[in-house]
Amino acid sequence: MIRRLLISLLLCLPLCAQAAGPEGSLKDGQVLRGHFVQERHLQGFNAPLKSEGSFVLAPGQGLIWKAEKPFAVTTIISPAGLVQEVGGNQTMHLASSRLPFLSRLYDMLGGALGGDWRALEKDFQVAKSGDAKSWQVVLTPKAGSDPVAMPFRSIATKGSRFVDGVRIAKAEGDYDDLSFLDQTLSDAPLSPEESSALAAAGK
Amino acid sequence: MRRILALLWLALVLLAAGHLGWRLAHGLSFRTDLMALLPREEQNPALQKANDTVAHALSQKLVFLVGQPDRAKARAAATELSRRLTGSGLVELTTGGFDKDRLRQMGAAYFPYRQGLLSDTGRQLLEQGKGEEVALRALSQIYGFVGTTDARLVKTDPFLLMPSFFTGLPLPMSRLTLDDGMLSLSQDGMTWVMVSGKLTGEPYALDVQKHLLATLDLEGLTKADPALKVLKLGAVFYAEAGARQAMDETSWIGILSTLGTVLVALAAYRAFAPLWLSLLVIGTGIGTALSASLWLFGELHVGALLFGVSLIGVAVDYSLQYCTEIFAEPAPPSERLRRVFAGIGLGAATTVIGYLTLFLAPFPGLHQIAAFSVIGLVAAWATVVLWLPALDRSRPARHGKCMLNSADGLMRFWQTPSWRRPALLAALAVLGLAGAFRLHADDDVRRMQSLSPPLVAEQDAIQKLIGSTGGSQFFLIEAPNDETALQREEALVERLKGSVALKGFQAPAQYVPSAARQKANRILVSEKLMPLLPAQMQQLGMTEPPPAPPADQPPLTLAEAIQPGGPLAFLSVLVLEPGLHVVSLDGVSQPESVAMMAQGIEGVRYVDPAAQFSALLAKYRQRALALLAVSALLMAPILLWRYGLKGGLKLMAPPLLAVALAPTLLALTGDSFNFFDAMALVLVLSIGVDYAVFCAETTDQRQPVAMLAVSLAASTALMSFGLLGFSGVHAVRSFGLTMLLGIFLAFLLAPMGGRRQ
Repeated sequence: MIRRLLISLLLCLPLCAQAAGPEGSLKDGQVLRGHFVQERHLQGFNAPLKSEGSFVLAPGQGLIWKAEKPFAVTTIISPAGLVQEVGGNQTMHLASSRLPFLSRLYDMLGGALGGDWRALEKDFQVAKSGDAKSWQVVLTPKAGSDPVAMPFRSIATKGSRFVDGVRIAKAEGDYDDLSFLDQTLSDAPLSPEESSALAAAGK
Repeated sequence: MRRILALLWLALVLLAAGHLGWRLAHGLSFRTDLMALLPREEQNPALQKANDTVAHALSQKLVFLVGQPDRAKARAAATELSRRLTGSGLVELTTGGFDKDRLRQMGAAYFPYRQGLLSDTGRQLLEQGKGEEVALRALSQIYGFVGTTDARLVKTDPFLLMPSFFTGLPLPMSRLTLDDGMLSLSQDGMTWVMVSGKLTGEPYALDVQKHLLATLDLEGLTKADPALKVLKLGAVFYAEAGARQAMDETSWIGILSTLGTVLVALAAYRAFAPLWLSLLVIGTGIGTALSASLWLFGELHVGALLFGVSLIGVAVDYSLQYCTEIFAEPAPPSERLRRVFAGIGLGAATTVIGYLTLFLAPFPGLHQIAAFSVIGLVAAWATVVLWLPALDRSRPARHGKCMLNSADGLMRFWQTPSWRRPALLAALAVLGLAGAFRLHADDDVRRMQSLSPPLVAEQDAIQKLIGSTGGSQFFLIEAPNDETALQREEALVERLKGSVALKGFQAPAQYVPSAARQKANRILVSEKLMPLLPAQMQQLGMTEPPPAPPADQPPLTLAEAIQPGGPLAFLSVLVLEPGLHVVSLDGVSQPESVAMMAQGIEGVRYVDPAAQFSALLAKYRQRALALLAVSALLMAPILLWRYGLKGGLKLMAPPLLAVALAPTLLALTGDSFNFFDAMALVLVLSIGVDYAVFCAETTDQRQPVAMLAVSLAASTALMSFGLLGFSGVHAVRSFGLTMLLGIFLAFLLAPMGGRRQ
């Protein structure tokens, strides 16, 4: 569960990685929306497990990850906690007061949003390449990191204005491919439903 | 004859001194835990064992948090601290906690039994026939937002029953995270690294405390780096602070009371002879008492020593009685002794009876105090009677008219009929009555030993940083065997779950369900979940069904699970013996409602050691009051024999009034009454009888001399016992304040007892 949480949060990092790109960082009050396609490649399985849906990222407030296919699962992460819902039923709820990594990773997240890679450099080796139009960032856990907390070999991110794709390679040979589509940045505040969903994660 | 006895006494004292010297040369050790002074649970051996085990495990726990703004420096300091801890040879490091190897081993140990292991939610869903929801939850995790399920896990456990059971385990959930091999957390710009350990020595042994603190040298660490903070938690630190306080107090109370006694004697006698004679009496009294107590008990409790030191106040009374005779008409030393012989003999006899009743209380520490006091008093008495006349070269005093006159004032006050006497008695009666209505008992043991405030602050800081660190309350499960005990725990866990009355709990049954539960789980899985397997496999694109454990797979047993060296060996602190289990509790905020949860489950009881101890203290407070009555009854025959029925009863009036008034007057200040006050009253009674006897055993012309001796005795007693009233330890302070007021009243009222006809 701990591991899940950690990885979940780390996934936010590449989403925010445009901060590293020349476009500058996501500002407070801005909201990034888009669609995602997630392909989970498990070793020994014929086909990847594919899910798709939409996401909303609001700096300082959290992330709503809403899978629609093959079935509806919503994961909400805020600095205060994490909630997962399946078909309207809450299946998981973790307050970050019980799990300080959540807060700690939120510190990291904040660092990344501010374009400050130093927060990430504490735990990862960060390799950047490309230019503003097409860039890559590869995160590799530093030697000596706890493998329970960092159960992957690398996180490779590519993008242009926004992050377009992420590949998370896990220790056992499994990997996830994430693609992000139709991303829009808006200055409009979150909808009341989105705000209340994020607020619920902290309860 | 007297010569021979004196020489015999000398031989005994020399023997005692030799023994004491030999013990001192080998290094004296004192016990310091207050609990050792108190009685042990007599009736229930199972409860006693559970109490001991839980208390022992708690008392051995050491937790340190090393904080520094710089992560590397914090880690270096933690490494250095760990090195010192291991280097002390007294600590086993337990810093690892639940690291990945441990978790992996646990997974491997559980894996063969997985079909019998369900999380609470999983079991409830299957019982309600909602197998689809279990399947969907598993899918949502496998598909979910970057799940952690790897291919191997999905292939062997497509319903994710194992991970679900695993995450439901009450693993000591702390706010710490493993950072490059060290449990740490960052907060407010500080990196805190935890170092934890288990003390292998006895936390209440002074040499263990000294050695550990010297090896750790935390001051040295923080002095070398002012930005470094080290927080510590452990019974050994509390015990060390408590012992240091007791030792400090013993020395300053001892010094002040000796100084006071010396000054009073010098001022009163204007000669050194009474002083050195009195010091000789005190010296032989305490020396003999210490030597004999060490011989009797092997080692002494620091509390017994503290009380014993205040014995000075009483032991000196006899020599004061004798020495004050220089103010009476001139006579050779043996004649002077003869005049006071009856008084000090009766005084010593009644006081010894007062102390002897302490033997009736089943408190090991009180036995030490009783032995120390009785031996010391008898030794002091023997020294006065056998040695003082032979050593005394004093000449009759020429000064002291004014002193004698004012000392006699108290006697004259009680002898002269006047409105003042009834007025004083009436005032005391009114105040006493008013106090009697405010008199209330408070036996809370947590208030009896005053914990060092800086250590309490450090403990709070640690708890804030890493979450709760465990409590002393628990449930005790008694059953004929492990299986029954586990079933009872399961019933209990059902009630504890989700309760707001406590923060958490750990029960063996959460880690190893009863065989009955495992069997029921297997049936639930095969009947409610397995029919959904084909659909699950199809959704996941699995081609082969997961390997099923053999149908005749025996259930996981507790005995097997807690084998030493295994990943669940930590459970052995909760399993005292087959069928005798402990469910440990964390952060109990509503003890009554938690205790209620055991109701109706056979063999389960809520144990709160502190509350039980308080209840025990209350019981013994009542018993001490009974001792007081017994003590008075035992003294009565001697007094009745000496003074007749009317005279004897009249003589008992002042000490009994002092005993009644001391607690009621103290109650007026809002003070509560506890066991230690009751014990003080036992002593007030015997000292009060002494004073009344000294007053009664006098004649018209000796009266001022006797009163001067009693005044001197009372002032030295107030100095020694009264000083205990300033102790930082609540129990000792209670004792001291009751003594202070009780002795003052006994002195004030003493002449009221009348004169022997």
